[in-house]
Amino acid sequence: MNFFADVIQPILALLVFPGGLFVLALGLVYLWVNRKLVARLQNRIGPRWFQPVADVVRLFVKEEIIPEDANPALFVALPIVGLAGVLTASLYVPLFGMAAPFSYPGDLIVTVYLLSLLTLCIGLAGANSTGRFSLVGVTRTLTQMFSYEAPFLLALLSPAIIAQTWQISEIIAYADGRWLMFTHPISFVIAIIALMGKLEMPPFDAPEAETEIVAGAMTEYSGRGLALFKLGHGAELVIGVALVTALFMGGTANPLIWLAQTAVMLLVLSLVQVLMARLRIDQTVGLWWRYGSVLAIVQIVILIVWERIVA
Amino acid sequence: MINGNVKPAEKFVVPIGPQHPALKEPGHFELTIDGETVTAASARLGYAHRGIEKGAESRSYVQTLYMMERVCGICSHIHGTAFSLVVEKLAGVEAPPRAQAIRVLVAELERIHSHLLWVGVGAHEAGFDALFMYSWRDREVVMDILEALTGNRVNYSANVLGGVKCDVTPEAAETILKGVDFLEERARQYLEVVQSDAMFLRRTRGVGTMTREEALTLGVVGPTARASGVTQDLRKDAPYAAYPDFPINVITETAGDLEARFIVRVKETIESCRIIREVLANLPEGELTTRMPRRVKEGEAIVRLEAPRGEVFYYVQSDGTDTAKRVKVRTPTIANMASVLHLSVGHQLADVPMILAGIDPCFSCNDRSVRLTSAHGNDVWTWEKLRQHGIEAYR
Repeated sequence: MNFFADVIQPILALLVFPGGLFVLALGLVYLWVNRKLVARLQNRIGPRWFQPVADVVRLFVKEEIIPEDANPALFVALPIVGLAGVLTASLYVPLFGMAAPFSYPGDLIVTVYLLSLLTLCIGLAGANSTGRFSLVGVTRTLTQMFSYEAPFLLALLSPAIIAQTWQISEIIAYADGRWLMFTHPISFVIAIIALMGKLEMPPFDAPEAETEIVAGAMTEYSGRGLALFKLGHGAELVIGVALVTALFMGGTANPLIWLAQTAVMLLVLSLVQVLMARLRIDQTVGLWWRYGSVLAIVQIVILIVWERIVA
Repeated sequence: MINGNVKPAEKFVVPIGPQHPALKEPGHFELTIDGETVTAASARLGYAHRGIEKGAESRSYVQTLYMMERVCGICSHIHGTAFSLVVEKLAGVEAPPRAQAIRVLVAELERIHSHLLWVGVGAHEAGFDALFMYSWRDREVVMDILEALTGNRVNYSANVLGGVKCDVTPEAAETILKGVDFLEERARQYLEVVQSDAMFLRRTRGVGTMTREEALTLGVVGPTARASGVTQDLRKDAPYAAYPDFPINVITETAGDLEARFIVRVKETIESCRIIREVLANLPEGELTTRMPRRVKEGEAIVRLEAPRGEVFYYVQSDGTDTAKRVKVRTPTIANMASVLHLSVGHQLADVPMILAGIDPCFSCNDRSVRLTSAHGNDVWTWEKLRQHGIEAYR
C-alpha cells in the first residue's frame, strides 16, 4: 500500500487542493470579481479586493444571535451541512483545469444534488428561524429551486446524452476540445441562466429581495452561520461556473486558460445582472416552466434526432 | 389607516418598517398576505414627528423661515418659498420680479433633482440597480448647479422674506445652461429606458393601476394624480411667484400604472429644463429684495404650491407681532398615502415597495401630531403624566 497516494493525497484533495481551502478562497475571490464587475458596470467604484475576506472574518468573530423560537441545534448545524455539501461537490468537478480528484459513474447527478443541498439548507434554516421575512424568503427560495432545478439538469443532460454517460470525467473526456457551447447553444444559455437562479443573482434575487423581505431566509442569521453560508455561496459560484465551463467550453484546459474561461463566464453573469430588473417570483416560475424547460427539452430532442437518424 | 378585511385567525402579517431596507425614513406598514398576494394593508405614521409647527409659534418669522426649509430634505426650497409667499401675503409685500423668477428657477432645478432621485429609488425597489446608480450619478450635476447658485447642495436657503438672497450672474447662467443641456439629454435617455426595457416593464406596466375616478376619490396630488390622467398642476391652475410669466405645460398620462408615473416624472424633468432655459433667457432686471416689516399685520393667509411631489399647503395666522400665532403645513405625501393602501391590496408582496415608492413618499414631512377622539373618551395626557410615562417606560 502506497501511503502517500492512498491516504495523504485524498486528504489533501479534500482539505486543501482542489477541494477545501482552495475552493473557499477562490469562492471569495470570485465573489469579489463579480461584485467589482457589477460595480464598474454600474459606474460605481466597487469593493476593494479583500472585502469579501474581511466580511467573512468579521462575521466569524461576531456574536451569533439565535432566535428564541428556533431550534438551536438546527440553527447552528444547517450552515455547516450546506457548506459540507458544496465542498463535497467540489471533489467531483474539474477545478483549475485539472481532472477531478474523485469520479464514479453517475457523479453528475450527485454533484447537482449536492449543490442543491446548500439551497435546501438555506431554506430549512430560514424556516427554522421563524421570522416573517425568513418565512416569505423560504417560500420563494424553495419555489425558485423547483423552477430552475429541472431546466438546469436538463441543460447538463444534453452533453451527458451525447457522451452517453453520467460520469463527469467521461463527459469531459468527450467534450475535450469540442466546445459544446456551439453545438448545444440552447443548453449552454439555459445552464448559465439556471446557474444565476441557483446563485440567487439578479434578476433571480426575489428570494433575498432586500427592498421587500430584507435578506429573505438569511434575515435572522448573523455571525458564524452567515459567514458559513457566505463561504458556501462563494464555493457554489466557483463550482457552478467550473462545471458549466468544463462541460460546454472544451473540457479541461491548463490552469491559465481555465481562469480566463471562468473569468469570461463571470463577466457574462455580471453583465446579465446589471442589465436586468428583478423578476417577481411568479414571473421567475413562469419563465422557467414556460420557456426554460421546454427549450431544454427541445435541445435534447434535436440532439437525439441528430444522433440517431441523421448521423 | 387600514384597507381590507383581516380575519385574525388566519393572518400572516409582514411588517414593513419602521426600520426596513425599502424605507429610507421611518413608517410602519402591516401587510396581511396570503401566499404572495396582499389581502389587507395598514399604515402607521408619525415616527418622525418633529414639532415644527409648534416650534414656529415661538420663533420670529425670520427664524421660522430657516426652520421651514428643513421640513423636507429633498424639496426644501418649495417650503421656504411657500412660507415666504404666505408671510409676504400677510404683510402686503410683494417680492421684486427678479426674485420671483429666481424662486422659479431654483424650484425647477429642485424638481429635476427630486425627480431624478425618485427615478433611482423607484428603479432600486424593482431591483434595477443600474438605472438607480446612473440616475443618481447624473443628479450630481444638478446638485452642483444648485451649490454654485446658492452655496448649498440640499438646504439651498435661497429665500429671504421679501425676496431671494442669491443672484444669477451671466457666467452662472452659462454654467446652468450647460448642465441643463446634459440633464435633458440624460432624461430623454431614461424616458426611453422606462418605456422600452422589457424586464423593467414587467415590473411596472399594469402594476398599481389607478383609474382617473380612483385618483379623484382618493384625492391624490402631484405626479401621482397626473399619471392617472388628472390634469392638475398648481403651477398652471393657480400660478404663484413668476409662473404667470413662464407658463408650463402640464404633463399627464392616462395609464395610471407605475410605468405612467415613471413617464410623467421623467417628462416633467424635461419640461423643467425648458422652463429653466426660458427663465434664464427672460430674467427680469431689478432688485433682489424688497423691504419687509418686522411685525406682520394681524390676519391669516394660505398659499398652495406645486412641490415635486404634489400640492404643498401653508396656513399662517398672525397676531400682529413678529411671531406667527399658528402655522399649519400639509405636505403631498399625506394626500397620497391612502392610495398606497388602496392599491396594495390584491397585488403581489413584491409590488408593494414599488407602489409605495410610486407616490414618492416623504415620511418626516407629513408627520403631524393628532388628537384622537375615541369612544372611550378624550385621553389627553398632561405634561406631568407624559413625563412620568417616559420615566416608567425606559426604567
